[in-house]
Amino acid sequence: MSTLLAGSPAAPGAVPAAWRGSLRRLARLRWGVTAALVMLAIVAAAVLAPWVSPHDPLVVDIRHRLAPPVWMAGGTTQHLLGTDQIGRDLLSRIVWGGRVSLVVGVFAVLISASLGVLLGLGAGYFGGRTDAVIMTGLNVMLSFPFVLLALAVIAVLGPSLPNMILVLGVADWPLYARVVRAETLAIREREFITAGRALGMSHARLMFGQILPNLVSLIVVIATLQVARVIILESFLSFLGLGVQPPTAAWGNMLGEGRVYMLNSWWIAAFPGLAIFVTTLAINLVGNALRDWLDPNLKL
Amino acid sequence: MGRSRLAMLLLLALVLVLPAAPVAQTKDDTLVYALQSDVDSWDPPNSVLREAIILGYHVFDHLAVRDLKTGRVAPHLATSWKALDDTTWEVKLRKGVRFHDGHPFTAAAVKATFDRVLNPENKLTARGNHAKIKSVEIVNDHTVRFRTDGPYPLFVERMTAQVMQSDKIIKEKGHQWMQENPIGTGPYKLVKWSRKQEHLLVRNDDYWGAKPAFKHVRIRIIPEMATQIAELISGGVDVIKAVPPDQMDVIDKSGRARTSTSPILRTAMLQLDQAGRSGKNPFQDVRVRRAANLAADMDAIIKHVLNGLGDRTATGVNPMAFGFDASLKPYRQDLAQARKLLADAGFPNGVDVRFRTGLQIVEPGVLQTNEVIVADLAKAGIRAQQNHMGEVGPYVAQVKEGKAGPMFNWSWGYYSVFDADAILYDVFKCNEAYSYYCNKELDDLIISGRSTLDPKKRTDIYVKAQKLLFDDAAYIYKWGLRGVWGISSRVDYTAPRDEIDRMFIVTPRKK
Amino acid sequence: MRRYIVRQLVQFVVVVVGISMLSFAILHVIGDPVLLLLPQNAGREEFERYRRLLGLDQPLPVQYWKFVSRAVTGDFGKSWYGDVPAFPLVLERMPPTIYLTFAGLGVALAIALPLGILSALRRHSFVDNLCTALAVAGQAMPIFWLGIMLIILFAVRLRILPASGYGTWQHFVMPAFTLGAFLAPITMRLVRSGLIEVLNQEYIKTARAKGLGERLVVVKHAFRNVCIPVITVLGLQFGQLLGGAIVTETVFAWPGVATLTVESIRNQDFPVVQCAVVLLALIIVAVNLCVDVIVGFVDPRIRVRA
Repeated sequence: MSTLLAGSPAAPGAVPAAWRGSLRRLARLRWGVTAALVMLAIVAAAVLAPWVSPHDPLVVDIRHRLAPPVWMAGGTTQHLLGTDQIGRDLLSRIVWGGRVSLVVGVFAVLISASLGVLLGLGAGYFGGRTDAVIMTGLNVMLSFPFVLLALAVIAVLGPSLPNMILVLGVADWPLYARVVRAETLAIREREFITAGRALGMSHARLMFGQILPNLVSLIVVIATLQVARVIILESFLSFLGLGVQPPTAAWGNMLGEGRVYMLNSWWIAAFPGLAIFVTTLAINLVGNALRDWLDPNLKL
Repeated sequence: MGRSRLAMLLLLALVLVLPAAPVAQTKDDTLVYALQSDVDSWDPPNSVLREAIILGYHVFDHLAVRDLKTGRVAPHLATSWKALDDTTWEVKLRKGVRFHDGHPFTAAAVKATFDRVLNPENKLTARGNHAKIKSVEIVNDHTVRFRTDGPYPLFVERMTAQVMQSDKIIKEKGHQWMQENPIGTGPYKLVKWSRKQEHLLVRNDDYWGAKPAFKHVRIRIIPEMATQIAELISGGVDVIKAVPPDQMDVIDKSGRARTSTSPILRTAMLQLDQAGRSGKNPFQDVRVRRAANLAADMDAIIKHVLNGLGDRTATGVNPMAFGFDASLKPYRQDLAQARKLLADAGFPNGVDVRFRTGLQIVEPGVLQTNEVIVADLAKAGIRAQQNHMGEVGPYVAQVKEGKAGPMFNWSWGYYSVFDADAILYDVFKCNEAYSYYCNKELDDLIISGRSTLDPKKRTDIYVKAQKLLFDDAAYIYKWGLRGVWGISSRVDYTAPRDEIDRMFIVTPRKK
Repeated sequence: MRRYIVRQLVQFVVVVVGISMLSFAILHVIGDPVLLLLPQNAGREEFERYRRLLGLDQPLPVQYWKFVSRAVTGDFGKSWYGDVPAFPLVLERMPPTIYLTFAGLGVALAIALPLGILSALRRHSFVDNLCTALAVAGQAMPIFWLGIMLIILFAVRLRILPASGYGTWQHFVMPAFTLGAFLAPITMRLVRSGLIEVLNQEYIKTARAKGLGERLVVVKHAFRNVCIPVITVLGLQFGQLLGGAIVTETVFAWPGVATLTVESIRNQDFPVVQCAVVLLALIIVAVNLCVDVIVGFVDPRIRVRA
């Protein structure tokens, strides 16, 4: 137990406690910065896909299918990460697939964040009946098996990119609403709000002009972390065959199509899986760093 | 509270988690067979699914069965048959056979079975297979006569496609009961059916025929092919079917299992909506259909994507079916000609069509070959948008209802009847549920082909029909499939050419 | 206490009504059952006949009332595909899913509690960083990927566990671990942050100042207060867990209600989907009600706050 005490501020040390704190913050931030750079590289690759991808992701070459990555026996420099089950270049598909996955992640989060913030602000600011209605809706949503809901709606609407974004976006708002409402409740009673009310500011001005700016860092952190979650969910849906339709490449459906090849041509599933892993990892690290940087006391 | 309450919660979880009742059988006397999807009922004439035919073979018997070695139809519950005239068949029945409930199998059972299937009010799927039969008459306990509506050359083949059910059950228990309770005369009895999970069968020790080697058969439903293969090579499952060609090396190199392949009675096509069932579309023009056939390099696909596991066909008629014309040469890729035909048809800039895809359980590798065909078609100017449908049931329903056009992947298993008529009638004749083609000239050939018992005449008719289908490019013709089975090293079994797995002929491998 | 329970029950009922409306809406507002059932080229007459047959010509509230009054008696209609009533079909598949979920929860706790406590006690130490890294990595891992990897490792290579299926305790190991790994990261972080918060509070400092041993402080005073938020959040996570169960069940051919639902969705078999969604949601709500009541029982402050 002595090590525990050594970590507490009271422990004597060569470096002053305050110094150590900021050093540690910097050390943690270093991870965040690295992750942000990785993230930036991934986004850049996705945006610049037409220029950086070595091949057309849809061009089929059945004479060179299932080619292994370049460092394995039988691999060629033509296809750095090898080719898939019908001879398409895996690296190009991952680059293009990142576009789809990121678009799904970002747009779904935009939808759910806007919805959630709006409803959370309303519930927290007005309270009373508005609050009760919104909170009931929130409880209903939270008690729904989310993935099932998404699956059912997609099965009715038909699987397509916009439908998937819509479903993932609409189903994910309660998280934002809950956090925003709780914060709004606290801020509402603060002096600058009561003062604003006394001055006769409109509700909208108070909500969006006065309260919302205080919540921005919080929302940004949640939204960042949610992008990662949505990317994983997209891969769920694609795994179950209800995601992005072939031949369009998305990480989720590449992983889904490649899973039967795990025992021999493992690269078909491994690289898209790795792409999902690295991206969500980077997003999570960036999110955590943002949280530490913006407000170390946030509990998420 | 804290810890103690948490411990209680964990304890509760543990109690709930206690394993279900232990399974009685041991590994040595149990054979495990895996299917990707379950049957909808245990009443084979009431199902369109291949799985229902397979399960039916284990619990029920047929009047005749296919000898897997020679490929010919051999006696089973029927001991002999002959045509008395053009429209009457007399069938002698095996004596001393009993159903699982002890009720004897007699002519009454045969009559009750066919009466039930043929009654339009019962709406059984199998009715279409036997529609040519007008009536069944009992001559004595072990002789029946079938009256047919005109000459019926497929009669003998079709005897392999109808399970014999008990007259007593049909009368006393009725349709609804029969959906879950199969009472047959077959080598196994059903012990327990856990829907979409597994079927447990136990050997029928009073079986009249050869005694199966394994006392129990477990038929497990495992939807994931990756999981099926993992089960096979880790010893959890003994026989799996429909292995994708790309996975053969995994099984063969495992040292625990091997693959077995066989040409099977199933032809794969991309059906085009020539009949316009799903509405007006470019494929109603023969030039567009020809262009589509000329666009794809099927030989290369068979060689490179299917690892050679396919037999290129000129039409939908399978090389193993009676009437197949081997002299008809299939389409070969000719992109220039294809583009020209398309331009002639009024599409110099190409066309866009929806392409419904799916059925990967029925046709392994179909998603890969589809993608390659789509890429080939695009080179000729036919831009197909894939639209995937994962499950077999709704896919087949869409096809039947005419919603699947203008282009969809389809394969036909002939109901395991080795005759050209078994595909021409169902898949190419006007107004049939699975047909998106309509041509009066072909219909006449199909009708005349089933109106004579003379094999020579019938062959000539089918040669003509195939020429017509080739010239008119009814659908995009692909190939006859070869099935791949995965078989555990602990048992002996070979791929069945009629795609009907028979667990009762599987034997333990000698050590 | 009684008022608290009554209030929770009222909320329970309101949520249940909301669930019934939402699941009704999925079928009747987003999709048109007749369109899904009938061929496109079906005539107008047939279309109208079907509408009447299914009672779809009546106003929505009437249809909703019919749906609810039937659902209450366990009548969700017949499966459009298998020709059997939906309710028993779903009910039969419920136990395997519930067992799997609890097993997953158990695994998650078994991983998360010790690691969470450890990293809270040794904040910013190597162990803490490692645990945080593990948690972040765990969250970034698609669950089916982990499942397939486990099958390859333990069933195909090592051959010590069955690759799939249901029946003995061996069958539970991999699915439970897969599902547990899905829930463990978030639980661990909760335990960690909860414990840190509690440890900084006055009464703990007092206890320490009184010279109580560190072990005693953590076990007696801190831990029991951490349990409350952890249990609450686990209740909320129950729905997430069921979502994870869908994928886990698919990979391991687990005969649960999740695989049934996915298959029914693909078959467009909506009575079964509706029934399964309603029942699963009910379970989630019931679990949360229990959690609320227990927590309220344990901690009087919450009764007042809520």
